[in-house]
Amino acid sequence: MIKLMKTTFALFTALTLASAAFAVEIGKPAPDFTATDINGKTVKLSDYKGKIVVLESYNSDCPFCNNQYKTGAMQELQSDLASKGVVWLLVNSVNPNNSSHRTPDQAKKEMADKKIIATAWIDDNSGAVGHLYGMKTTPHMFVVDKTGTLVYDGAIDNKPDPMHDPRTARNYVREAMDALIAGKPVPVAQTKPYGCGVKYAN
Amino acid sequence: MRRIGIILAGWFCLAAFTASAAHTQVRLVLSASTARPGDTVLAGVDLKMEPAWHTYWKNPGAAGMATKIEWQLPPGVTAGDIQWPLPEKLPPAEVTTYGYDKEVVLLVPLKLATDLKPGPLNLKAKVSWLECKEACVPGKGDVEATLNIGNETKISTNATIINSWRDKVPAEFHGWKNAFFMRAWWETQANGDTRQLIIEEFSTVADAWSPVEKSDFFPDASDEFEIQGATEQISNTSLKHSLRKRVKKFSGNWPKEISGVFVIEGKGQPTAFHVTLPVADKAEASETVPPRPKSISNPPDATPVLSSQPLWRMLLYAFIGGLILNIMPCVLPVIALKILGFVGESRSDPRHVRKLGLVYALGVLVSFLVLAAVVIGVKAAGHRAGWGMQFGSPVFVVCLTTLVMLVALNLFGVFEVTLGGRALDAAGGLASKHGAAGAFFNGVLATVLATPCTAPFLSIALGFAFAQKAPVILLMFLAVGVGLAAPYVVLSWNPAWLKFLPKPGAWMEKFKIAMGFPMLATAVWLFNLAAGSYGKSVLWLGVFLVLVAFAAWIFGEFVQRGRARKGLAFVIALILLVGGYAYALESQLRWREPVTEADATGSLKESADGIDWQRWSPEAMAKARADGHPVLVDFTADWCLTCQVNKKTSIEIPSVRAKLKSMNAIALLGDYTRFPDNITTELNRFSRAGVPLVLVYPKNPEAQPIVLPEILTPGIVLDALDRAVR
Repeated sequence: MIKLMKTTFALFTALTLASAAFAVEIGKPAPDFTATDINGKTVKLSDYKGKIVVLESYNSDCPFCNNQYKTGAMQELQSDLASKGVVWLLVNSVNPNNSSHRTPDQAKKEMADKKIIATAWIDDNSGAVGHLYGMKTTPHMFVVDKTGTLVYDGAIDNKPDPMHDPRTARNYVREAMDALIAGKPVPVAQTKPYGCGVKYAN
Repeated sequence: MRRIGIILAGWFCLAAFTASAAHTQVRLVLSASTARPGDTVLAGVDLKMEPAWHTYWKNPGAAGMATKIEWQLPPGVTAGDIQWPLPEKLPPAEVTTYGYDKEVVLLVPLKLATDLKPGPLNLKAKVSWLECKEACVPGKGDVEATLNIGNETKISTNATIINSWRDKVPAEFHGWKNAFFMRAWWETQANGDTRQLIIEEFSTVADAWSPVEKSDFFPDASDEFEIQGATEQISNTSLKHSLRKRVKKFSGNWPKEISGVFVIEGKGQPTAFHVTLPVADKAEASETVPPRPKSISNPPDATPVLSSQPLWRMLLYAFIGGLILNIMPCVLPVIALKILGFVGESRSDPRHVRKLGLVYALGVLVSFLVLAAVVIGVKAAGHRAGWGMQFGSPVFVVCLTTLVMLVALNLFGVFEVTLGGRALDAAGGLASKHGAAGAFFNGVLATVLATPCTAPFLSIALGFAFAQKAPVILLMFLAVGVGLAAPYVVLSWNPAWLKFLPKPGAWMEKFKIAMGFPMLATAVWLFNLAAGSYGKSVLWLGVFLVLVAFAAWIFGEFVQRGRARKGLAFVIALILLVGGYAYALESQLRWREPVTEADATGSLKESADGIDWQRWSPEAMAKARADGHPVLVDFTADWCLTCQVNKKTSIEIPSVRAKLKSMNAIALLGDYTRFPDNITTELNRFSRAGVPLVLVYPKNPEAQPIVLPEILTPGIVLDALDRAVR
């Protein structure tokens, strides 16, 4: 029995390692997905080919994530990028049993209250998109360029602190965006994401 | 109305405040209530979490945030880095974090300046943390405590809490102390931005006490790369733990070095230590890369950090050790043979002399190769190996006793050793004995007799060698052999240096016979060793030796030098030999089934007023220390001449006896004569491959033991005892 458990454990670990191997990679095509947003609309990543796409792993109950919104810094970035035709997808992978889960109605209200400017809020309560991209924390940011290639994967900025003023930090997404729009390579393509762990379903 | 408004507002503020830090309570505790200027006081930030809530380690892992402490200290008090107790690995698997459940005390050393004025000092800190259950909440709290500055140190009531948490802070890795060796290498070349890393820890002792279930590595935080949470166990045998980690690189080059806490989990408390390891490109390249401790805080009297010594220095130690072996008591009888050899050879052709010198060296080296092979074999079979371990085998001792007695008889001229079996005249016999076969045999004999001795330098070198991989063991043993053989090879190249020796002549025959006596003394010593294994029946070994001697005389007198009936004489000698073997050794002595003495407890006192030795065991050791006694430990063996000399000159002497009594010390004797496993383990823990090892444990149960050198003087022992009670 113990042996069986050990084998199962080893297998599980191997699978975890193997699945990590499928995680996204900088310079490679960003994996496509089809998901539903809080309005019941279908969202398909490949539909946005030709546009720059930002993916944000979101959970506003997380103080790191909330800090970006309560200070208004995230909305500023969103509005600036929206004016440049950038697509912003919020991915909420909190499982339905967690107290931080939002029903579509709660989500619509929260989006309005917080003045979030996003193309869509993806209801990912199964964790499918989160796992596909290997989203670790909230916030964990991804940038996909016009050709569908992943060009940034990591933290929103360089201050892993839930109480700082984000405007004084070095914002990696803004940097990536400025570079892309200017037709230059992204200066920092990968950083260690910080924040709360994504509350995936077990 | 306005009043109600204020109260309400106040209530809301309070509610808001408690909500933000509702799940963790924080307070500051100190190890001392009063301290002297110049002291270092340990402060503990005690975080108590509600059930299921946790706070984070210095590397929170894939998410979370390390707890921060901002000190507000009066002038003259300086805070050091936080010492983090071993955290737990927290689920889920896809976002592994490292943190603390229920409670943690983060420790910070506070250094007090020497010019602090007496009086109370107020120590304050702002602590901020992230607490998580299903959701995460940032928390913060202000803590303070008062420390009195006075002229004596008084421990506080919280000292026990602080001590118990200090025990959970992983120590910095010391290969020499733990007998652990570690290495790390990339298993795969980069696949995009991920690589697989293998971390391996191998030891000679690690898990002697408890079986190991799994090992793990909790990395230090890095912005450049992430050693991910999932751990794949590769092997957890009694001697090796290895595991596979995935490393993701965010920026820059692949790390050349990793650091973190290696955790070995068995029954009970996990063993954990912090280590900084170079990462090799592949397994072979890192064969002998020793770990590099980040900060080596050796107690001043500790042994050097062996694991971080370069190989060349260890080889040099081995060579010097081998040289010194030549003048250690065990090898002296063989020296007699060699001196004789040189005198005999001085007449002959220098080329022949050189050849014999080299053949002797070859004999030594081949013997050392055999020893190394045995050690490697024993280690590969999963057992523990030690220097001189063959003397733990009674069968070996019986064979060697017989052999050494025959060498003595040969020196007495009872019989000759010749290759062709022809009797020769005395001078010719000498020459033939120091022919190629004789020289080779001398080399073997010197090596065999050298093993119960360790010399200065040699014990350090061997302690290092026994914990290494096969090629290094081989190299180290050869270096000892080269050292042992070197003086003879050099002399055989320059026989002119031996001019002070008299010319060959009739005196040589007398000298040869005279040298038979130290050889005979060696035989008596070996006989005494055998007595330990066979008890009173050792008499039959004596009987056997007499029969062998008789047979040797008949062989020498009537076969080698006789004129008639050689065949009959040969048969008689053979009958004596076979009969003696069958009756005395096999049927009476039962030499292959030695009696093992039951381990007695109680005193091992040698004389009425001698030191009250108790038998060493890990339990006896632990008890003596727990009871607050200073402890003298002597690891010794009957066959270890160095040990016997130490005991006679520097341990079992009136001044040391009196000192031990006056300081209420416990004396423990570890008898290594028959090579018990638990002592091998203990020797290895101090990077020693054999005895002697004499340790003095201070009264303070947490202090490190003082390791005494191989060769003792009364002054060294008394000084160490003095320091133990200071």
